[in-house]
Amino acid sequence: MNKWFKSGKPYIWLTAGAVSVSLIAVLGLLALIAWRGLSFFWPAAIHEVEVQANDGSTRVIIGEVYDREEVPISRLTESGITLEGFEGEMLERKLFKVGNREFVPLDFMWVMEPQIIRDETPADLAVLERSKDGNFYGYVVDVLENGESVANQNNLRDVLFERIERAVELNEQASDLQQGEIGAINYELNRLRLEARALDLEGKLTEAEQQRLAAEEHALNEQYKELEKELFAYRDAASRDSVVMRDMRGMEVTLPMYRVLDVTFPNDMGLFSKIGHFFTQIGKFVSEDPREANTEGGVFPAIFGTVFMVLLMSVIVTPFGVIAAVYLHEYAGKNAITRLIRIAVINLAGVPSIVYGVFGLGFFVYMVGGTLDQIFYPEALPSPTFGTPGVMWSAITLAILTLPVVIVSTEEGLSRIPSTLREGSLALGATKAETLWRIILPMASPAIMTGLILAVARAAGEVAPLMLVGVVKSAPMLPVDGNFPYFHLDRKFMHLGFHIYDVGFQSPNVEAARPLVYATSFLLVTVIVGLNLTAIGVRNHLREKYRSLEH
Amino acid sequence: MISVTPNTSNVESLDLANLTPEQTALEIRNLNLHYGDAQALYDISMNIPKNRVTAFIGPSGCGKSTLLRCINRMNDLVEICKTSGEIRLHDKNIYDKNVDVAELRRQVGMVFQRPNPFPKSIYENVVYGMRLQGVNDRRTLDEVVERSLKGAALWDEVKDRLNASAFGLSGGQQQRLVIARAIAIEPEVLLLDEPTSALDPISTLTIEELITELKEKYTVVIVTHNMQQAARVSDQTAFMYMGKLIEYADTNTLFTTPAQKQTEDYITGRYG
Repeated sequence: MNKWFKSGKPYIWLTAGAVSVSLIAVLGLLALIAWRGLSFFWPAAIHEVEVQANDGSTRVIIGEVYDREEVPISRLTESGITLEGFEGEMLERKLFKVGNREFVPLDFMWVMEPQIIRDETPADLAVLERSKDGNFYGYVVDVLENGESVANQNNLRDVLFERIERAVELNEQASDLQQGEIGAINYELNRLRLEARALDLEGKLTEAEQQRLAAEEHALNEQYKELEKELFAYRDAASRDSVVMRDMRGMEVTLPMYRVLDVTFPNDMGLFSKIGHFFTQIGKFVSEDPREANTEGGVFPAIFGTVFMVLLMSVIVTPFGVIAAVYLHEYAGKNAITRLIRIAVINLAGVPSIVYGVFGLGFFVYMVGGTLDQIFYPEALPSPTFGTPGVMWSAITLAILTLPVVIVSTEEGLSRIPSTLREGSLALGATKAETLWRIILPMASPAIMTGLILAVARAAGEVAPLMLVGVVKSAPMLPVDGNFPYFHLDRKFMHLGFHIYDVGFQSPNVEAARPLVYATSFLLVTVIVGLNLTAIGVRNHLREKYRSLEH
Repeated sequence: MISVTPNTSNVESLDLANLTPEQTALEIRNLNLHYGDAQALYDISMNIPKNRVTAFIGPSGCGKSTLLRCINRMNDLVEICKTSGEIRLHDKNIYDKNVDVAELRRQVGMVFQRPNPFPKSIYENVVYGMRLQGVNDRRTLDEVVERSLKGAALWDEVKDRLNASAFGLSGGQQQRLVIARAIAIEPEVLLLDEPTSALDPISTLTIEELITELKEKYTVVIVTHNMQQAARVSDQTAFMYMGKLIEYADTNTLFTTPAQKQTEDYITGRYG
């Protein structure tokens, strides 16, 4: 035994064990969120089950099995549920997602396994994905156009698909119109209002100016009326059709077609169509706007907000960090004060992020933003422009948060450059600044990129400070759009990290939102990995280019 | 006595103590240098003649590299380094307050112990100094590259891969590239700080031949710890010991009939 210790083998086992534990932890976490998140998009079978209660009455439940668990019977008995003719200690119960939110009190139901007397998965069961009130489960009975039936039993599905496609297309055109042209007109009208107010404040609002503004406003209003007519036309056309469904209560209900986004018959799908559906659902998740208080639909604005904010932060933090590191390493005297500053910078990385959030809110938003508003946007007051949380303040706050990382790694990169290269450049008549710019900084660029990678990884996962300086649950507009000046850095934005918190803990229907939490977490990890891989790719390219001298 | 073959090139010997202004490249007058409290150079005075190769020899730590680095003020980079005395170039003290150090270094080029090409292409390495001066005209730069690489006896080896990375060259080629880079800006004086100590014997030989050619156009000052090398390439040699200039004479004279006992001990290998 003693010999075994002396051989050094235990240390190999110890170190390798530590690596394995970390690997298993990371991979386990990733596998868990990937599995829980991605299985949400797989089309689950829809069951029609008949449940017999203790008194002998039966009822039918249609829905997908959402969860199952084993419960001890004693606990059920304590809570007043009695089960007859069942023995054993544990029994299984299933959670069904039954949807149809406007017709049933709860869209999730627990069912005791022994009470199920019939369990089928009929091929005709359909899932309607709707823009309001969640999914609808049931049988398709008929398709109506202006209240008249237009389908028979033979072509029911084809007609339904066709009508849904039409309704979806019309809805898309309507929302394109609303967000595109009508949005632009609203933006212009707002701009005119601000212009009038600005002129008024400066005392330059002459008769002629007033007339010009009124004329422009009139023209815009005319345009708006035209577009509004078009919009209503789309809406009318979209509400022409409706679909008749039979739900689990056996009642026929008529649903307006313009709220239906998609129909699927999961019990009638082959493997390939299921795979196709899976990827379509993922595509929708990453490309669509959220619906129903974020519990349904996609997360596109959150992805966009996260990536945009992180890129903006990188653009701010890199020059600042590099310049600070260059001063500390190249110009500052090598004395106690410099060492003190360096220690302070390193310690800044340990300050809790919420402190940065509070600082950002107090200093940037209220002080700097408020002052900017008074100087540059007096016409919009009292409603603030930059004096309110927004994407720019978020990016700047996170830039300060990640500044130490960039400074430290840049300094390390600078100190790794052989002094012979500096001397070589100086000996050719270069000044120190020229040497820095032409030789040192390019060679330190891989280290700068390393700092940026660490900064991005930290910033993309940060939520707490953002809640104070710019993130909101739901942002009506992206920070980038087609209206001049295209980048609206004063706007609030959505963020994947905050989205997870919001959907998981602030939503009215936690059960329904749980898979979304996993899916969003997985997406956030994917986005961070994607950003990092890009940065690592750039760094490897630079490394290859500025490979150090090999002596 | 170790076998030292003195330089056979028949340059006329000069009266080193009394050079005419036309013959002088550099005059060093009463140069003292301190690193903090430690004195590294003691009252050095010597004349370095134009278009000749002057070698500094001496044991490690004798101050020969320090003296060399004084000539283009590379010691300025060391914060604790203090210099007094004069070095005159064109009858002007390079330690005067109004001297532009960058301009001085353009006139006094330097090649270091280890090859230090920049992480750029061969072409960009050679034109680095020109670009610093704001020369960006492609044709001028092309001419400079060809002339410099030919001057450094490297042209034939790299003319087909001027845009390849300088790191792809061998050590000896890199050192010649560095020499090409130094002569691209046409300095008057070329300082070589043990230029062959990191090279193999064949590369060393090439560089030594090159040095003999370089003196046609430039004044060369070389530091070497290899006495044979000093004997082979230099026209006059300075022997330094413990920060003092012990003896400075024609290479032939110094190696065959040294005036000082310390010099004789050193070149016969009794210490060092």
